[in-house]
Amino acid sequence: MFIDFFYKLRDHGVPVSPTAFLTLHKALDQKLIQSLDDFYTVSRAVLVKSERYFDLYDQVFAHHFEGVELPANEGLAIDEMARAMLEQWLQNPKELAAALGMDEAELQKLTPEQLIEYFKERLKEQTERHDGGNRWIGTGGTSPVGHSGHHPGGMRVGGESRNHSAVKVALERRYKDYSLEGPLTNAMMGEALKRLRHLRPAGPKDQVNIDKSIYQTMKNAGEIEIVFDSSLKDRLKIILAIDNGGWSMDPYIPLVQTLFDYAKAQFKEVKTLFFHNTVYETLWGDPARYKKPVTLNELARRDPETRLIFVGDASMAPYELMAQDGSIYITDRSGRPSIACLEFLAKTFRHSVWLNPVRKGRWNYTRTINVISQIFPMFELSIDGLEKAVARLTAM
Amino acid sequence: MSGATFSGASRYVLDAELAQIVNVSMALEMPLLLKGEPGTGKTMLAHAITESLGMPLLVLNVKSSMKLVEALYQYDTLTRLNDSRFGDSKRDVSDIEAYIKMGKIGQSFTAERRTVLLIDEIDKADTDFQDDMLDVLDQMEFDIIEIDKTIRAKHRPVIIITSNAKKDLSDPFLGRCNFHHIAFPDPKMMRKIIDVHFPGLNGALIDGAIEAFYKLRQLEGIEKRPATRELINWLRALQSDPDFNPKRLKEELPFLGVLFKKSQDFEQASRLAQRRGRY
Repeated sequence: MFIDFFYKLRDHGVPVSPTAFLTLHKALDQKLIQSLDDFYTVSRAVLVKSERYFDLYDQVFAHHFEGVELPANEGLAIDEMARAMLEQWLQNPKELAAALGMDEAELQKLTPEQLIEYFKERLKEQTERHDGGNRWIGTGGTSPVGHSGHHPGGMRVGGESRNHSAVKVALERRYKDYSLEGPLTNAMMGEALKRLRHLRPAGPKDQVNIDKSIYQTMKNAGEIEIVFDSSLKDRLKIILAIDNGGWSMDPYIPLVQTLFDYAKAQFKEVKTLFFHNTVYETLWGDPARYKKPVTLNELARRDPETRLIFVGDASMAPYELMAQDGSIYITDRSGRPSIACLEFLAKTFRHSVWLNPVRKGRWNYTRTINVISQIFPMFELSIDGLEKAVARLTAM
Repeated sequence: MSGATFSGASRYVLDAELAQIVNVSMALEMPLLLKGEPGTGKTMLAHAITESLGMPLLVLNVKSSMKLVEALYQYDTLTRLNDSRFGDSKRDVSDIEAYIKMGKIGQSFTAERRTVLLIDEIDKADTDFQDDMLDVLDQMEFDIIEIDKTIRAKHRPVIIITSNAKKDLSDPFLGRCNFHHIAFPDPKMMRKIIDVHFPGLNGALIDGAIEAFYKLRQLEGIEKRPATRELINWLRALQSDPDFNPKRLKEELPFLGVLFKKSQDFEQASRLAQRRGRY
């Protein structure tokens, strides 16, 4: 009974288990379910174990029992108006092979600020979709705005990332929530992280040390003497800052997910923050980097003994790191170059490391990796690198 | 005991859905895991069940440093040491069992009648504790190592587990309980809850307060949103102020400190309150 329903839930990503399904049948068997309403409530309580899936459950339920259409999967949350406008022009990006190298010298001179201006102007002038060419926004041209084109230091407008240097993501609201799903376990990573656990006696001396008490009592010739100890506590606080932005981190997602899963399971106090490419005045508490800003000043108020762990590929256009207003987000205009922000963080938190998923052999090819590794001790995000990083973090 | 069903209590407003889930969980003899914002009455539910079914309540407040064995039983070595030294107690020092004290789970197993066992804020403990505990609750028995004795539950307690967790509990844990998420009550439900707590309170005051309360909850960027508990306390504060006139709620919001406990939240809420005064 209801096997279809069960598999439909599974297919739509609600993690339901056969055991729970059997429990549901036990409930049916005991005549606890008399109506469809009963079935709705009971099967949800038995099958669905997190409120995160309630909405999905509702949809599948409505579909299965009342034939309501299932909404198509909408992967991206889009909220900017401009995006909606631009998407019309930029649908179905064409492959571009030939239009390389044009105007390179001239376009390279444009700063990010000028690019944004250019983008806005073009947006005003342009009224239709446009592919190719070198001035309008469209796909596959050499105009400095648009996507799938090649422009050194140009701005990307939606679409896929092809050239690592062409970045000025104006319309991006895509995110990866590393916390949602991840490979289950990776015992080695867990072992490495476990060493970060610092169990230290803390708090009042309220635990009886039986061995010592007996020893002391014997020494006192049977006169009871009770020895108290304070209990062991994990006092280490950790801030995990993850680069979850955009495309350049995509290949490393499984790795970062594993790390994230482990960090959450291992430590009492882990604060996870998100950023894109590098840090400006704010980091974000939510994976979408939208709702919960955490400013550097707020961070600075935390315990300086907190261990700060960055995870990111540290690869970006040099100006993002060095220039004032280098952020690829138009809204992020703080006036302090990112490199100063990073230095500030490194100074605030004595124990900090940067874990880089890029293989160490390739670090020399990216300038920003070199620069950042001078600010934070940088380690490869591998078991070896992790152990070294942990050794560094636990050093007094 | 099988005939007993739960249908609400004097100080707890129950929605039909939750009542059903509680009853099904009791019938299936599975623990019920409750999640929800702080202050939505997760803990209150257990109290309400005990009241309505007339069962004794045992509360296990989970602490982060807790070990499972503490929840099961305690071997009181110190008293035994003391007794062996002075020998003036009625206990038999050679009988270790006399020095075993039951913890909350142990008590619920050994109780003469069916009890409600509330395991509060399970998320505070680490995952090992959670999994081990579920094993015990699944088997309904545990061993006392010191005296090599197995304690078996005389009556299967009604188990309510609450969690404020942002992080999810482990899969094996979730697999063994039923789950319900208590959503924050809507204004209508809230009105009922207030009526239960303050019978005969001035209607205008309740309406005004509830309206203001929901507006304040919607403020952007509030870290700790005020919950039912805060609203009840707030009403109590408003009530106790002899100068207070419900009509003034439109213009000013006194005692915001009752609702907002974080300084940033408080400042933000006061700003809104001032703006209300101006327009």
